[in-house]
Amino acid sequence: MNFDLTTLVALGSTYLSLLFGIAYITEQGWIPQRVVRHPVVYVLSLGVFASVWAYYTSISNAQREGYGYLANSIGISLAFMLSPLLLRPLLELTRTYQLSSLADLLAFRYRSPWVGTATTLVILIGVTPLIALQIRAVADTADLLSPDASHAAIAVGFCALITLFAILFGTSRKPGRTQHDGLIIAIAFESLIKLFAFLIVGGFAIIKGFGGMDEMQAWLLTQPELLDSLENTNYFSSFHVMALLFFTASVAMPHMFYVTFNENSGRGALSFASWGLPLYFLLISLPVLPILWAGIYAESTAPIEYLPVVIGAAFDSPGISLLAYLGGLSAASGLIIVITLALSNMCLNHLILPLKQPSANKDIYRWLMQRRRVLITALIWGGFAFHYLPSDRISLQVIGTVAFVACLQFLPGILAILYWPQANKRGFLSGLAAGIAIWFALLMLPLLSEANSFSDIAINWREIAALSLIINCIAFVAGSLYFGSTDEERSSADLCTLDTIKRRKRSGLVAKSAADFIKSLSKPLGERTATREVGQALQDLKLKKDDRRPYAMRLLRGRLEANLSGLLGPSIAREIIDSYLPYSIVSQHGSSDVNVIENRIEAYRSNLSGMAADLDNLRRYHRQILLDLPLGVCSLSSDGEIIMWNRALEEFTEINSVDVVGSQLNDLPEPWVTLLKEFIGEDIDHSYKQSFELSNQKRTVNLHKALIEESGDTESPYEGLIILMEDMTETEILEAGLTHSERLASIGRLAAGVAHEIGNPITGIACLAQTIRDEYHDQELNGLAQQIIEQTDRTSKILQSLVNFAHAGTNKLMHENEQVVICECIAQAQTLVSLDKKNRDIKLDVDCDPNAEIWGDSQRLLQVLINLINNARDASQAGAAIILAAKVVGKEVHISVCDSGIGIPNAIKSRVFDPFFTTKEAGEGTGLGLSLVFSIVEDLNGNIDIISPLDKDRGTGTQVLMRFPCYDPTLQKH
Amino acid sequence: MYIPRSILMLLVIIYLLFLLTVDWINASGELWYRPFIVGFLVILVASWAHRDQEQDEP
Repeated sequence: MNFDLTTLVALGSTYLSLLFGIAYITEQGWIPQRVVRHPVVYVLSLGVFASVWAYYTSISNAQREGYGYLANSIGISLAFMLSPLLLRPLLELTRTYQLSSLADLLAFRYRSPWVGTATTLVILIGVTPLIALQIRAVADTADLLSPDASHAAIAVGFCALITLFAILFGTSRKPGRTQHDGLIIAIAFESLIKLFAFLIVGGFAIIKGFGGMDEMQAWLLTQPELLDSLENTNYFSSFHVMALLFFTASVAMPHMFYVTFNENSGRGALSFASWGLPLYFLLISLPVLPILWAGIYAESTAPIEYLPVVIGAAFDSPGISLLAYLGGLSAASGLIIVITLALSNMCLNHLILPLKQPSANKDIYRWLMQRRRVLITALIWGGFAFHYLPSDRISLQVIGTVAFVACLQFLPGILAILYWPQANKRGFLSGLAAGIAIWFALLMLPLLSEANSFSDIAINWREIAALSLIINCIAFVAGSLYFGSTDEERSSADLCTLDTIKRRKRSGLVAKSAADFIKSLSKPLGERTATREVGQALQDLKLKKDDRRPYAMRLLRGRLEANLSGLLGPSIAREIIDSYLPYSIVSQHGSSDVNVIENRIEAYRSNLSGMAADLDNLRRYHRQILLDLPLGVCSLSSDGEIIMWNRALEEFTEINSVDVVGSQLNDLPEPWVTLLKEFIGEDIDHSYKQSFELSNQKRTVNLHKALIEESGDTESPYEGLIILMEDMTETEILEAGLTHSERLASIGRLAAGVAHEIGNPITGIACLAQTIRDEYHDQELNGLAQQIIEQTDRTSKILQSLVNFAHAGTNKLMHENEQVVICECIAQAQTLVSLDKKNRDIKLDVDCDPNAEIWGDSQRLLQVLINLINNARDASQAGAAIILAAKVVGKEVHISVCDSGIGIPNAIKSRVFDPFFTTKEAGEGTGLGLSLVFSIVEDLNGNIDIISPLDKDRGTGTQVLMRFPCYDPTLQKH
Repeated sequence: MYIPRSILMLLVIIYLLFLLTVDWINASGELWYRPFIVGFLVILVASWAHRDQEQDEP
C-alpha cells in the first residue's frame, strides 16, 4: 500500500475546502433555516462524539473485549435516552442562565470562580490527550497510506487547516452562547461522511473480503479465539465502567456539552436526539466486527485500530482505503474544532477574565473575540505538542481512556446540580481534588512514562476509575456536609435543584428603570456595551423601555446576569451584577415568589404524575376560580407588590394584569391607588359603597380585605393581603330607580287623594250649574251655567284620568282585561300629557281609527302611551309635531308614536329596551321607561318595534310601532 | 424528582430485554449482529417514549 503523498494532501485539502464552503454558504444564509435547524442536523452534529475513538479504537476494543466495544455507544445512548433525567433539566438551566460550558455551569451552581477555574484546568489537562489522539490518528493513517510522507508535516498541515477553520467559523463578535450555524452544518456533514465511509468499508469487508455474509459466518466458526471473545463478553466488568465513562462524557466532555446545549436547535431537537443519536451510534458500531475480521482474514500487519484504512488496499481496492482515510479525517477534525471552541470559551471565562478584564472604554466584544482566537490556536497546537510526548507504542485506547476517566470526576458534581441541594463548593472541590489526584498518580503518570497498555500498570484502569470515583464521592459528600452551604450556594441550589420548593423572596432594586441599569453598568462595561446589553435583555424579555415595575426590574437583572454570563462567564457576570445592580433589601429565604414557582411548575407539568399531577390540577383549578371570579380580586405581597389582578378587575378598572402584576400598589393610576391605599390603611375589613369618579361617571364599589397567613417567614407578620372589589354601580342605579318609582307612586297616590277630594265639590258645582240651567229661563244665565257645566266636566275627566293613572301598576293582580277602545285611551293620554308643563310646546297630531279596539288593560296601555309620548317629546325640538296613530290592519291593531327627533343610532338600538339603559343626562332618566313599555306590551300579547331613522336622508325621526290582536268578542269570552 | 412514566417504562424494558437476550446474543456460532437487533428494538421503544416530551424543552 503506497499512495502518493500529493494524493493524500489533495484529498485532505479538497475535503477541508468543502467544509469551508459548506460553512460559508450556511453563514451567508443560502441554506434555508428549516434545514439548518432541523433535528436531523442536530443529531448529526452530536455525532462529533464519534471521534477517532469510535472510528479506529473500537476495532482494537472489539478484538480484545468482544461485544464490550459497544460500551461507549451504550453509555452515550443511555444518556440521551434518559435525557429527561439529566440532559433536559441541564439544557433548561444552560439556556436560562446562558451557561456555555461545564465550567460555567459548575461555577454558577457552586457560586465560586475557583470551581470554574479548577474545572477548566482539569478538563484542559484531561482533554489534551484526546486532541493529541486525533492528530496522531490522522498522521498515523497518512503514514500507513504513504510511508514516505513526513509524519510531522502531515500533522502540522492538518493542525494549520483546522485552526483556520475554527477561527473563521467558530468565533465571532457575538456573545459566547450565540449559535454558529455554519460550523454546525459543517460538523453534521462530517458526521455524515464518517458514517457513510465506515458503512461502506464494513460492507466492503463482508462482500469483497469474505464474499458474503454466509462466508464470513462460516469463517468465523473456524476462529475459536474470536468466538470466545464474543461469547465471553463480560458485561459486569470493564463494560459497564466504560459505559459509565461515556455516559458522563455526554455532559462533561466540552465538545459534547457545547453541541448538546449551546447548539441545540430548539423545540423538539433533544427529544429527537434521544433516539436519533443512539441510532447513529448503532449504525457506526455495526461495521466494526466485519472490518476487524476482514483485517485478520487478510493477515494485515498494520496496527489493529487502523484496519479501516488498510483493508481496502489489502483486497486491492485502494479507493476504499482513501474513503476510510477521509472518514477518519472527518472524525478527527470535527472533534478538534468543537473541543477547542468549547475549551477556548472555558479558558477565557475562567482563566483569563478573572485575571484581566477589558476596560470600559474598549470594544469588549472585539477584545473577547481576539483572545478566543488566540486560545483556539494555542489549544490546537498544545494538542499537537502533546501528541509527541507519549511513546508511539502507547495505543490510542490508553490515551482515550485516560482522558475519559479524568472527565468521570465531574459526575458527582453534575448530578448534585440537579439532585442534591446541600452540595457546596468546598465539597465539590474536595471531591474533585481527591479524584484527580488518584487519576493523575495512577493513570496519567504511567501514560507519560510510556506504558504500552493497561496490562503494564499494576492496577487495571477499571479499578482506578472506580477508586477515583468512590474517593471523589466520599470527599464530596463529607466536605459538603462538614462545611455547610453559604446563602449564595443555597440560593443557586434553589435555582438548579428539581426538588426544592424554596425560592428567593421578592426584593427591590436600587436601579428603578432601564435607564438606571444602563447608567450603573456603564461603569464596568462602558456606555456602548451597557446600552447594547440592556437593550438586548429588554428585547429578550419583551419588556418596554419605560417599564418600572419591580418585578420587571428583577427579571431584567436576572436576564442581564444570564446574558453577561454568556459573554464573560458566570463568575465575572455575577460580580458585575452584584456590585453595580444591588438589591435595596437583603434577600431572605422563606417567602416565595409565586410567579417563579408557577413558571417552574408549568415547565415540568407534563412530567407530573400521580399525586403531584393531582396537586397541580388542584392548583390550576383554584387559580382559575380566582381568575374567573365575577368579583375583582387583587392580592398583594407583604411589601405591597401586586401578585394577582383577576379578569373582573381588569374589566372594571380597564387595567390589564400584565401592566400591573409585579408593580407596587403606589404605581397604580388614580383613583385606584387612593381608593385601595385608604382602604388598606383603615382598621376595617369591609367598606361599603365607596363612590368615586371614573371617566366622568360615578362608580360605586364595596371593598373587602383579608390577610394571607404567613407561611414560615419570621421576618414578615403576614404573607400578603387579598382585596375583593365588588362593583355596585348598577345596584346603586337600580336602587335610585326604585326610590324614584316609589316617590312617583307616592305622588300618584297623593294626586288620586287630592283628585277624589276635589271631585266632590266639582260635582256639587256641576249640580248647581245644572239646576240654574234647568230652573232659570234667563238665556244669558243659562249660557253661563252651560259653560260652568262644560268646565266642570272637563275638570272631572282630568281628575278621573289622574285617579286611573295613579291606580295603574300598583298591583298586577288587580289588572283585569277589558275591551279597550284605543281612541279613548289616546284621548286620555293626550289629556294627561297636556298637564305637564314640559309638553306645552309640543303639538300632538292624533289619527285614530274608531274601530281600533283590543283586549287588555286600558290603564297599562295608557302608561305605555304616556311613556312613549314623553320620550318622543324629549327627542324632539320645541314646537315639533308628535303623531299618534291607531289603525286596524287585518286582524291586528297598529298603534304608533312618531317623532321627528334625532333618531336612535344603530349601535344602541338593540339595547334601548334593556333596564337602566339611558342616553339622557345623569338624573334625568332612570333607563326603566322603555323597559317597562316592552314588558307591558308583551303582557298584552303585543309586540313592539322601533324604526329609526324615519327620514333616511336626514337621518332623523323615530317611529315606535306596537301591534296588538284585534278585539274579538267571541274569542275573549273564553 | 420527576421521572416521566414513559422513561420509567423505557428503563424497565431495557433491563428486561438485557436479561432476556444476553444468552441469546452470546450463543456460540450464531449470527454476530444479534446485539444490533436488540439495540434497534430499544431505540424503537425510546422513540415511542420520547414522542410527547417535546413540550418540556425550553
